[in-house]
Amino acid sequence: MRIDGCSDIEDPAPLAQQAAWQDVEPIAQDDGPSPICPIAYTDEYREMMGYLRAVMAAGEESARALALSGRVIQANPGHYTAWVYRKRLVEALASDIGAELDWVSALSAKHPKNYQLWHHREALVERLWPARAALALPEDQRLANPVLRRELQFVGSALDEDAKNFHAWSYRQWLVARYELWAQELAFVDTMISQDVRNNSAWNQRYFAVLRGRPATTQLDAALARAEVAYAVEHIQFAPNNDSPWAYVVGLLLRHAPAALHDELLPRIRALAADPGFAPAMSSTPFYWSALVDIHEQQARALPPAERAPLLDEARAICDRLATQVDITHNRYWRFRKTAVGAA
Amino acid sequence: MEPTDPRSTLLADKHVEFIKRLDKKHDELEYWMTEHLRVSGIYWGLVALFLLDKPAALDHQQIVTYILGCQNSDGGFGGHTNHDSHLLYTMSAVQVLLMLGALDQIDTKRVTDYVVGLQRDGMVSGDEWGEQDTRFAFIAVAILSQLGTLEQLDTQGIVDYVRSAMNYDGGFGSGPGGESHAAQVYTCLACLAILGQLHVVDRERLSGWLAERQLKCGGLNGRPQKLEDVCYSWWVLSSLEILGRVHWVDRQKLCGFILSAQDEERGGIADRPGDVPDVYHTCFGMAGLSLAGFKGYALKPVDPVYCMPKDIVERAGLGSWTDKVPESWRE
Repeated sequence: MRIDGCSDIEDPAPLAQQAAWQDVEPIAQDDGPSPICPIAYTDEYREMMGYLRAVMAAGEESARALALSGRVIQANPGHYTAWVYRKRLVEALASDIGAELDWVSALSAKHPKNYQLWHHREALVERLWPARAALALPEDQRLANPVLRRELQFVGSALDEDAKNFHAWSYRQWLVARYELWAQELAFVDTMISQDVRNNSAWNQRYFAVLRGRPATTQLDAALARAEVAYAVEHIQFAPNNDSPWAYVVGLLLRHAPAALHDELLPRIRALAADPGFAPAMSSTPFYWSALVDIHEQQARALPPAERAPLLDEARAICDRLATQVDITHNRYWRFRKTAVGAA
Repeated sequence: MEPTDPRSTLLADKHVEFIKRLDKKHDELEYWMTEHLRVSGIYWGLVALFLLDKPAALDHQQIVTYILGCQNSDGGFGGHTNHDSHLLYTMSAVQVLLMLGALDQIDTKRVTDYVVGLQRDGMVSGDEWGEQDTRFAFIAVAILSQLGTLEQLDTQGIVDYVRSAMNYDGGFGSGPGGESHAAQVYTCLACLAILGQLHVVDRERLSGWLAERQLKCGGLNGRPQKLEDVCYSWWVLSSLEILGRVHWVDRQKLCGFILSAQDEERGGIADRPGDVPDVYHTCFGMAGLSLAGFKGYALKPVDPVYCMPKDIVERAGLGSWTDKVPESWRE
């Protein structure tokens, strides 16, 4: 069980045969007198765990203990207690954080969805270059810093491997928000969307990049709303039956520019639906009709109660269409959605 | 004798045997690789057994002794003996003890202090290293509600954090800005339900988002454009149940999907048909079948907030979250 490039994973000979470990008496797993969960080990893992338990029990803080914790984590990255021990050792030994980050990076290639690896990474980056120090510099200088450049590159690679890796996106959000790297993020998101217009994580990140950490009550200016509508509709054209851009643009506008639903989005999608090249695809996608329900409801909200009926009736008629023709799979939802039209 | 069709029959006896065999799998690598979450494994196995109405299939006293042995000096529980405490395993430990009627065997104050000690600036971390996630918001609230010490937590701080994780699609992520994901939706809804704060939820939009998780095969996914997985039968269905909208999915088709993921030979349920079964998917597949009202077996009703049998939750006085559901939601 070796990881290339990790210099602290040394001699693969059994620990009992290594001179450096002669002074330690391994502690065997104790499952109690009548184990309900007796555990089977391979010999190598059993041996490593025995030595790890011994050095932990002795409170040892040493390079060999650090190396051993690394071997256990390599074998079993979910092993929580090995992580706890390692983190304490990194602090106690004042280990080189850059080297620790190298080690985490090498391990991450094999375990891209392990919570501990990503969280450990966060802690290391913060120590390597505290955000408070970073934020004293302008953004272009922050971006030029090797620590952040490496991190952006690392998380970019993780997303190249798996463009929907929840952990990677979460980490990227932490990085961008903490170090205020907003200016570069929209371009990154655009690249990800170009690679896969159906990547819901990328569209979620677009919302994050556009909002730039501002509160949920923020109202976006008309120009920005228009630009985002144009962007979303452009991508809807590529693949009309794709949930993400629809959910994004309707969600964004409902929260941050409700008038643009009627002023900007409605005419564009109506135009697309009337275009002979797109009409069949648009009329057969539930998302087009669902957006119309949202838009009509919002339009109605902006009117005095006495004038809302035609729009709400239209919205209900669309729910019928969805339930009976366009989205029969979710017909139960649409039948109940109809009864909720205009309620809020 | 007619062969049983696994697509329409719940292979209850096989699942019971699968769960009973879990502690005997000396020859399987997966067994020792999951040592660090053994406590959660026991919780998942026990839930499945209880829902199958076979609670006695495992030795309760042995389990209680083992669980108590996983408690550490900081009051929390590790995933196995001599493993460091974490909120995840503390939750499973408390749930197991509750289900086995042995909660009185722990010092409530010690566990409460452990959980409360993990709260910083309103939000609760999973451990001393500070990982934050809406899962932990729910877990902290759920643990203390089971211990009867919820008032010791700054619940407003938790509600604020959960609200900040609400997205433009009505769903919830792991934290502010995080992509909506069915598992996070469940933890946020369950948290808000216990705290009587469900009114902050966009019920329509979220219910629609959840209903959209159902794919043509009947299975449910966790977010748009992803694959179906049996465990979402729980995360999505429990969420819909809390919202009062479980009828918005085709439950019969969902049951068919879950049953097709059973392992006819070994017992147990996998993430999808043809894959290797595990106790986690067995638990959530069973809970999903129960919530979906599967008629082919007398499964016990499951509480959608605590993922434990309803009768146990009610006897423990924890069923009152239903009284705090917004008035307008009661159709």
